[in-house]
Amino acid sequence: MILRVLDPTNEIKATGDRPAVRPSSLQGKTIGFISNGKEGTKGYFTQLERMLREKLGVGQVIWRTKSNYSAPADAHIIAEIPKWDAVVTGVGD
Amino acid sequence: MAGCLPMHFPVVAAAWQAMMKDEFLLHGVTSSTGGCAILVIVNGPVRLEIGANPGFNALANSDRATTVIGRALRLGLINLLDVRPGGIDRTTLGHPGKFSYCLAEDEEDTGWQPLSFVRGIPEGVSAVTVMAAMAPRQIMNEWTTDPREILETFAAEMRANQLHYSIYGGNYAIVIPKQLCEHIERAGWTKRDIADFLYERARVRRAEWADVGKGSIVRNRGTRIHTALESPDHLLVIAAGGPAGGFGAVIPPWMGSKTKAVTAAIGACVDCEPPKG
Repeated sequence: MILRVLDPTNEIKATGDRPAVRPSSLQGKTIGFISNGKEGTKGYFTQLERMLREKLGVGQVIWRTKSNYSAPADAHIIAEIPKWDAVVTGVGD
Repeated sequence: MAGCLPMHFPVVAAAWQAMMKDEFLLHGVTSSTGGCAILVIVNGPVRLEIGANPGFNALANSDRATTVIGRALRLGLINLLDVRPGGIDRTTLGHPGKFSYCLAEDEEDTGWQPLSFVRGIPEGVSAVTVMAAMAPRQIMNEWTTDPREILETFAAEMRANQLHYSIYGGNYAIVIPKQLCEHIERAGWTKRDIADFLYERARVRRAEWADVGKGSIVRNRGTRIHTALESPDHLLVIAAGGPAGGFGAVIPPWMGSKTKAVTAAIGACVDCEPPKG
């Protein structure tokens, strides 16, 4: 008896996406915060903003909050991202 | 996959169609720390064709069909969408339904309308309903035949879940086995009557959070009323379970109304393009 084992994993390889160019310095840069809206984000982002401004000379910090913490960011937030130099997201629990 | 036979595949495919609907919010359902599983309820003639058993052990190892259908869905999430614990799946605890969480409704032992019909699928058409669901919470009330008293026990369990887990309203499922079904049905109550009753009774005041150690988030909204169901339509009433025992189960939603239960007909090509030419 021959036992044939098939690979059940997805054969499609994601292509076309590359990480954005990393800034060499954050001095004077604009940083976006995308909060998932949970309670824990307030203290975390407040402290992070202070550190970015005081230690790395960040110029501006833009706060945005998702309307649903379990769904991808709203379209109007995604549309703003190109105006920023870097984004912090994915925190909150 | 998972021991599925070809005859099980249409059920698996329909469940995937339902899970892919925007309102189901598959990303949140599969990645959240909350750790829900995907509950699948099968209705219609297909239940009998595939040998699903809505009787004894309905929520567990009742039969091959429901076991392998639920397992195939989870393995599909893992192997096709890479939903693995510690990767995309950030679940803190999870529950055993993440292995398989599928049951068939008992349409033969009750005069109630099948869940799929209540949710808009024509009579006699097989269908699946998927719901982002926490573990079942079993209740027991063998000491009355009064529908109100029986359903008060279900309502109390829903309130307990609101206080101990999440206060926010969403889809709840309740599973009612034959013994309690018969008491409720004999009194002339329909599934709609059950939903209306539980909508009224399953609600808590926000201040009650303070009784279970969550006083810090009551704030100045203590008098606010939170209903377990946003409307009676959000209750999924399922007849299933062995013939004896005054038991039932409340299956709570993952997280309020962020996700909605979805019902899809089996064998119907929901998003297909019409044939060209």
